Amino acid sequence: MSRPAELPRRAGGGFSLWQRAFGWATNPWGRPRFLALVTWGYMAWAILPVLVAIQFSFNDSRSLSSWHSFTTKWYTSSDPAIESVLHSASLRGALDQSLKLAVLDVVIATPIGVLLAIGLARWRGRGSGPSNFLMLFPLVTPEIVSGVALLLLFTKMLTFIHTGTTAQLLGHVTFSISYVVVIVRGRLFSIGRQYEEAAADLGASPSVALLRVLFPLLLPAIVASAAIVFAISIDDFVISQWLSNGANTSTVPMLIYDATRSTPLPSTDGIATVIMLITLASVVAGVMVYRFFTRGEGGTSSAIDDVAGFGI
Amino acid sequence: MAGGEVKVIDLVKQFGDVTAVDGINLEMPGGEFFSMLGPSGCGKTTTLRMIAGFEQPTSGQILLDGEDMAFTPPHKRNVNTVFQSYALFPHLSVQDNVAFGLRRQKRPKNEIRQRVSEALELVQLTGYEKRKPAQMSGGQQQRVALARALVLKPAVLLLDEPLGALDAKLRKALQIELKALQQQVGITFVYVTHDQEEALTMSDRIAVMNDGRVEQVAPPHEVYEEPSTTFVADFLGVSNLMSVTAHGNSDGRCRVSLGDFELYAARGETHTTGETRIVIRPERVRLEPHDSSGENSVPGMVQRVVYLGNSNQVIVGLANGDRLQALVQNTGDELAYKQGDAVRVQLPADALRVLTDTGTAPIDEDAVAAAV
Repeated sequence: MSRPAELPRRAGGGFSLWQRAFGWATNPWGRPRFLALVTWGYMAWAILPVLVAIQFSFNDSRSLSSWHSFTTKWYTSSDPAIESVLHSASLRGALDQSLKLAVLDVVIATPIGVLLAIGLARWRGRGSGPSNFLMLFPLVTPEIVSGVALLLLFTKMLTFIHTGTTAQLLGHVTFSISYVVVIVRGRLFSIGRQYEEAAADLGASPSVALLRVLFPLLLPAIVASAAIVFAISIDDFVISQWLSNGANTSTVPMLIYDATRSTPLPSTDGIATVIMLITLASVVAGVMVYRFFTRGEGGTSSAIDDVAGFGI
Repeated sequence: MAGGEVKVIDLVKQFGDVTAVDGINLEMPGGEFFSMLGPSGCGKTTTLRMIAGFEQPTSGQILLDGEDMAFTPPHKRNVNTVFQSYALFPHLSVQDNVAFGLRRQKRPKNEIRQRVSEALELVQLTGYEKRKPAQMSGGQQQRVALARALVLKPAVLLLDEPLGALDAKLRKALQIELKALQQQVGITFVYVTHDQEEALTMSDRIAVMNDGRVEQVAPPHEVYEEPSTTFVADFLGVSNLMSVTAHGNSDGRCRVSLGDFELYAARGETHTTGETRIVIRPERVRLEPHDSSGENSVPGMVQRVVYLGNSNQVIVGLANGDRLQALVQNTGDELAYKQGDAVRVQLPADALRVLTDTGTAPIDEDAVAAAV
C-alpha cells in the first residue's frame, strides 16, 4: 500500500479523497509529511498556551480569560493600583532575586563544572567510573528530594548556612554543575587528546596547553553550558522554594505560583513573559556563540555537540 | 644539523595485561630516514609515542644523542611529531599554528615571522598564512603539520602515518617530496607506517615489527630480498612460502626436501637442519614445459591465470600439494600456458631462501591465491 499507483482504483478511475490523503501523508518517496504533522501538532500544543499567556499580559482588563483591548499598562504603568512589572515592589524584587541567583549560579557553577569535566575526562583508573556516574546523579534525582535534603542539611547540620539567598544559591550550583560537566565532557571527548599532545610536542607545558589550546577549543561548550545553567536557574521553582526564607527571597517562578493561587493578574503573565524572553535570549545567545566558534569544523559534531548547540 | 641519534634500549610498554612493546632495541643514527613498518597492533605507534613522550615506558631507555629521556615530559624533548590526524589547532590560522612552538620558546617577533615564512616556503605554502586549517585540503594540512614541526629545527622528526589519510595519488607525490625534504633538512626522520611501499620508497633503513618485537632491521632492498624471518617474507610483497625438511649445507647450498622432491637453496640460513621454511618471490619462479628437466624443478599444473596488464599471475599446484604463484612478464606474446596445462616449475637455487624460524605467519594458500 505504499505507492499510490498500486492502490485499488475506484470505478471512475480516480482516487478517493481518503486514498489521496493517505497517499499524501505516507508516500515513501515524498517528504515525511506524517512526521511533520506530528511535529507541528506537538509544537502547537506546547507553544499555544504560552502565546495565550503572553497575549493576556497585554489585556486591558483584570481578566485572564476574556480579551478586551491592547495595553502595556501591566508592564509600565506607575499607577500603584495596577502593580505593573516595572513598578510593583514585589515583582521587581522577584525579578532581581531570580536574576541574581541565575548570574551567580553561572559565575560559580560554570568554572567548577569545566574543571570537574576536564578532571573526570582525564582521570583513568580506580574510582573514575563511579565518579563519572555520580556526576549524573543530580540530573536524575527528583528536585523535590534534593530540595528537602538540602533544607535538612542547612537547618540541622550546617546551621551556619541560613535559608535565603545563600542556601538557594548553593542549591542551584549543586544541580547546575552536573549540566556543565555533561556538556563540557562531551565536547572533550569529541576533541580528543590529540591537540593537547600536539601542544606539548611543540613545547607547551600542561598549563599553557590548557590555556592556549584546550580552553579555546572548549569555549563553545562552556558558553553553551553557561546559557543552559542560566536558563535552568531562572526557571527553577522547587529548590528556590524549599530554601527561601520569606517574601524577600521569592523568585519569579515562586511569585507566579503564589499569584495564581490567590489573585492572578495580567501583570503576573507580564513577568512570566519577561522571564521567558530572558531565558530564550540566553539560550539563543549561547547557540549563536557556539555556532560562531565551531564554524568550519565540518561534520565532526557529535550528539553531545548537538545537545550543547541546541541548548536542550 | 648534527646529532639526532636515537637509541632505544630494551624498551617495554605494557597497557594493563597487554604488552604493546616487548623489549625492543633500535639504533637510528643522526640524519637517517628510519621507518617502523608493521601491521596494526605491532607496537610501532606505541614506540613512536614513547620517543615523543606521550607514553611512559614500562621499562627501558630512550637515548637522544646519548641522553636518557625516557622520563622527560614531551614539552621538554627536542623532538617534534607530525600526527596522523595532523592535529592542527582548528582555532588558529596557519601562521599561528606554525608559530605556536616558537612562541612557547619566547622568540623575538621578527625571528618568529621570518622562520614561519621560511618554514611555509619549505613546504610550498607561502600565501596561505591567514587560512584556517578547515579551509585547506588534506594534503595542504599535512604540509602545515610538517612546517609546524620543522620550524622548531628538532633533532628528530617523528611521523605517525602522516600520509595515511590521503588518497593514493597524492600519497605517492608526497612520498617523493617527504624524502627530498628529509635530505634537504638533514635531520633524523622516524617514520611509522603499515604501508610497505611507503617504507620501501623513502627509508634508509626499515625496522619490520610484529607483535611488539622487531623482526628485522635492514635497508629496503635487504628486507625485501633477504627477509630473515617468515613474517618479514610474508609481510613485504608477495612470497611463496613452503614447509620443508632441511638437511644442512652441501657446497654452500642447503639441501631440502619438499615432499618427495629434492631442492637446493643457496640463500639464507643454509646450515639449517630439520623442519623449516623456504621462500621464493613470484617474479623468480620460472615456468617450463612439462617435459623439461633439471635441478630444482618440480612438476605441477596451472590452476589459474590472472591477467594483470604488465604481467600475468599464474597459480600453479605443485605435485606435492603446495600452491605457488609465478609472475610472468608480459612480453606481448601470448602466454604459453593456460589453465589445466602440466608444467615444470623451476625454482632457481639462488632465489630460494631458507628461513630461520618456523614463524608465526601461516602458509595461507587462499591469501597466496588472492594476492596480486
